[in-house]
Amino acid sequence: MRYAYYPGCASQVITKEYSTTTKKVCQILGIGLEEMKDANCCGAGLMTDYNYELSLALNARIFAQAEKMSLDIITICSTCFMVMSRANRDLKEKPELLEKINNVLKKAGLRYSGNVRVKHFLFALIEDYGLKKLKKMVKKPLKDMKVAPYYGCHILRPSYAEGFDDPEKPSSLERLIEALGADVTHNEGKTKCCGFQIVLVTQTTAVDMIGKRLKEAKDSGAQCIVSPCPLCHISLDSYQGEAEKRTHQKLGVPVLHLSQLVGLALGISANELEFSRHLVSPEAVIMRFSD
Amino acid sequence: MKIKLKISRYDPMGSSGYEPFLQAYDVNISAGTTVLDALHKIKDEQDGTLSFRRSCRSAICGSCAVKINGTPKLACKTQVIPEFEKHSTVIIESLSSLPVIKDLVVDFDAFWHKIHKIEPYLNPKEDDKDLKDKDGWWIIKKEDALKTDDASNCIACGCCYSSCNTMDADREFLGPAALTKAWRFIGDIREGKTRRLSKISDEHGIWSCSRCIECTEVCPKDVRPLTAIENLRSEAIKKGITDNAGVRHVEAMVDSVRKTGKLDEAAMTFRTLGFMRSIGMIPLGLKMELHGKMPLPSLFGTIEGIDEVKKIYDEIEKENLSLHAINREREEK
Ligand code: FES
Repeated sequence: MRYAYYPGCASQVITKEYSTTTKKVCQILGIGLEEMKDANCCGAGLMTDYNYELSLALNARIFAQAEKMSLDIITICSTCFMVMSRANRDLKEKPELLEKINNVLKKAGLRYSGNVRVKHFLFALIEDYGLKKLKKMVKKPLKDMKVAPYYGCHILRPSYAEGFDDPEKPSSLERLIEALGADVTHNEGKTKCCGFQIVLVTQTTAVDMIGKRLKEAKDSGAQCIVSPCPLCHISLDSYQGEAEKRTHQKLGVPVLHLSQLVGLALGISANELEFSRHLVSPEAVIMRFSD
Repeated sequence: MKIKLKISRYDPMGSSGYEPFLQAYDVNISAGTTVLDALHKIKDEQDGTLSFRRSCRSAICGSCAVKINGTPKLACKTQVIPEFEKHSTVIIESLSSLPVIKDLVVDFDAFWHKIHKIEPYLNPKEDDKDLKDKDGWWIIKKEDALKTDDASNCIACGCCYSSCNTMDADREFLGPAALTKAWRFIGDIREGKTRRLSKISDEHGIWSCSRCIECTEVCPKDVRPLTAIENLRSEAIKKGITDNAGVRHVEAMVDSVRKTGKLDEAAMTFRTLGFMRSIGMIPLGLKMELHGKMPLPSLFGTIEGIDEVKKIYDEIEKENLSLHAINREREEK
């Protein structure tokens, strides 16, 4: 298993721990990641707001690079996954559009033939690696750890773009959590929005959403949330204090990156999983699984 | 076979005035029975007090939308057995974000009020020789008609409104249905000079959408409201309706990628909020810095192939002269 690895902008700086721990996990599992160091930003959806074709062309540049590497793309960011899947689908479905975009790329000496697939890390773990195999790799089953699965939006919707899991009744996170030996809680808001895209635009609306998501997870009896998206992590972790201020209550819900939960079960130490970079400390939850 | 349907009952205004609860009914279901068929069966054979809306029974009128196992759907377009097989239960509830009148019937006043707000009728250009033939008929090319084709398919059922995450947190948000209707007219090449676009660029308008994409996912007519909202945003930027945080947010990203190939969160924050409001973010910034999470611009660096990115920008802007003009103007400022 080998992929062109696209960590996304957030996990190169703010949520750097998500990318570094993903690499550690992949190393143990024997999943090859070739980092796309020269790839540009996917546009996070905002580029589509600005100009649809510019967004397509910038994404096509990323695809062209992966095509040259003869690898499919893997990303750890749900928003990158959604944006790239949508762009890729449009380019693959409309040959005239692909031609038009290729005319733009030509100026930069590039060409995309439409042969790349974009995957999210979660889906690669489940589809390509397989949970049976993963289970065998678990060194420290996360026994009695109560984890709220949180999908958020972009890993599921729009399902017409990639459609790995069912947005009405997703199960991949639950299956993963169980494979690691932890308990899944019934998280009512697991497919609802973390508000990240408007946190700088209409902050009160976004913080209200964040508060709701944290409250739902807490009410489900979870000790922590697991998130497959760095942007959801920023909302739920970094902005948790703001949500507490607005809801006048202590929430105290730690949010783990997907890679950290897997890493913990694989026996990677807490130190190496960089939990200290979280604003809401997961220490109380994870200590018993770490040397 | 017999399937148990659990239906939300609530009578906030009636003389019986019961509180919300789920009532279970065992219903004989055969292959192809729709949720609407089942509701009729209950009303005809078991409980005449159950209230729901419907008219066409064929996914055209948009009156039968309810939540089925949590997802807004048309009762007449949804079959019971596949729902039961997937969820092992069938729970039918009234739509979210709209007040209940009785049981499954909700009050659409707020929904229609927002549709009216965007002035849902064409305000055509006075005269446009290029677009009219010698007899005065509008000539509309296929590709122009296609721009608003999806939006014209909306049946105003309220599924998107009910599923919208921004609506759930901000009831004044115009919402996916009204904004899609706005695109239906703003994207029409006959559209004349109106204030429609600047009105929906205000607070609770196009820039409040959090891109949860529920609207596009649940729409029973494949209208894709998110795409309409994205079109409206592009159009607002092209028309220079840019004095708001939403556009500043987009422009900061566009410029950051042009300059470095990456998205620079620090610049995004600063430019979206402006100087004064950025100061308000300092406490959070410091808290993040303590954990090594302060998004300092220098940390992002520039990708090696930035020249390729610049060439792509230039090439696209050559084709979109209005974008080019806006950018130059912005740079001069
Ligand atoms: S009854 Fe008309 S859409 Fe269902």
